[in-house]
Amino acid sequence: MRGLYRRCCIMIKTKTWIAVFAGLLVICMGLSLWIFLKPTGKTIANVYMDGECIRSVDLSAVTEPYTFTVTSHRGTNVVKVEKGRIRVIEADCPDKVCVRSGWISDSAAPVCCLPHKLVIRIEKNAMIEEGPDAVSE
Amino acid sequence: MKKIKNLLLFSYAILFIFTSGCAGVKGISDAQKHSATVFAMDTVMDLTVYGDEKVLSEAENLIKDLEGKFSVTLETSDIYALNSSKSAVVSEETYSLMKRGLEICNRTGGVLDLTVYPVVRAWGFTTQDYRVPEETELKELLAKVDHTKILLSDDRRISIPSDAMTDLGSVAKGFTGDRLMELFAKKGISSALVNLGGNVQALGAKPDGGAWKVAIASPKGDGSYAGVVSVKDKAVITSGAYERYFEENGRIYHHIIDTSTGYPADSGFLSVTVIGKEGTLCDGLSTSLFAMGPEKAFELWNNSDDFDAVFIAEDGRIYVTEGVKDDFSPLGEYAGVVPEVLYHD
Repeated sequence: MRGLYRRCCIMIKTKTWIAVFAGLLVICMGLSLWIFLKPTGKTIANVYMDGECIRSVDLSAVTEPYTFTVTSHRGTNVVKVEKGRIRVIEADCPDKVCVRSGWISDSAAPVCCLPHKLVIRIEKNAMIEEGPDAVSE
Repeated sequence: MKKIKNLLLFSYAILFIFTSGCAGVKGISDAQKHSATVFAMDTVMDLTVYGDEKVLSEAENLIKDLEGKFSVTLETSDIYALNSSKSAVVSEETYSLMKRGLEICNRTGGVLDLTVYPVVRAWGFTTQDYRVPEETELKELLAKVDHTKILLSDDRRISIPSDAMTDLGSVAKGFTGDRLMELFAKKGISSALVNLGGNVQALGAKPDGGAWKVAIASPKGDGSYAGVVSVKDKAVITSGAYERYFEENGRIYHHIIDTSTGYPADSGFLSVTVIGKEGTLCDGLSTSLFAMGPEKAFELWNNSDDFDAVFIAEDGRIYVTEGVKDDFSPLGEYAGVVPEVLYHD
């Protein structure tokens, strides 16, 4: 009778431990899922002058639209920033291709001003990337 | 009891495989991904390779080398020598591209012509000093345009008539894409994507085995997309009136010159995207199919088996060739358009 009782106790204890481990396991799996798959939610636009990154903007953190000016010995471009997107609105380059490119909000194609060697590029985050890989134009 | 323990072990195993699997995916796409930006051939080039980073500097050298040979304006280039002396022994690259380019010219019945440079220059598209030339001036210049008069001899010598000028601009970026793919493959890279100023070319598939998604720019030229095409191991090259144009007296003049009239081609297309293995061919054909207009362009495709295409017409219709009908989907303002599929006769 006593032996049976003790065996029952061990049984219950073991079951409790298994339950605890199983719970931990579920939490671990959930955590790992979250860590590896969570979207970072950040959209970063980098501004390059002649290949060198001169400014970095977190587009997801923009609340009020604003503009800034990029000037070099080659000329001037005015860049406008809104939540999730960025563009050139004014430039003193001859072709104005940068202005005509309009807004970009993904990494498929950068905004380029060839005469000023200015490139604005949204950096790709492999984990949240859903846009195209490149643009044929 | 034993069952539960086994279950537990099994769960651990799953957990282990799962987390390490995720890390692995992250490792391939982030750790081995290398990119470079190159300013060359009057445009911005983006190179992305998955694998050894060293290949990027070799790729950059390759691009600069080709630019140095094909440039019309650089005084040390093969083409400059050819245009100034009318006869020159050129590099292997220039010779190969000229030879291939002339084959494409013949295939398009001269709609693509590697001697159209004087006409394009008269419009100011080479210097951005835009102007509308007089009709008599264009007639005079058109008389000099004839790719059949370019002569190639076996010792890599190219000769052109004394009043002609040649320019490889309509095929140079496509050729550069082809040579980059060769370089990457030779260096053991199996996944790469280059964007040479809007000329996209892919080596293999994405690292995860999926197809590359290449957007086709909206012909409005406002940065939006008209559609997206999924490709592996192919070039995707688009020509459209929106790429380079100027306005005078309320009229828009774009840069794709009709080689029969000397005026910008008024073809009924807003843009033409050519998709195929060979970048040089796709590059040359995208411009010439655009200039041809629907009837001739569809016929040329029907007589070919080495490329596919997406045509966006002025009336809002989209035509896709059968080879890409399942790989193309319209986007944005074209999202509701059902593409008409062209089948080989």
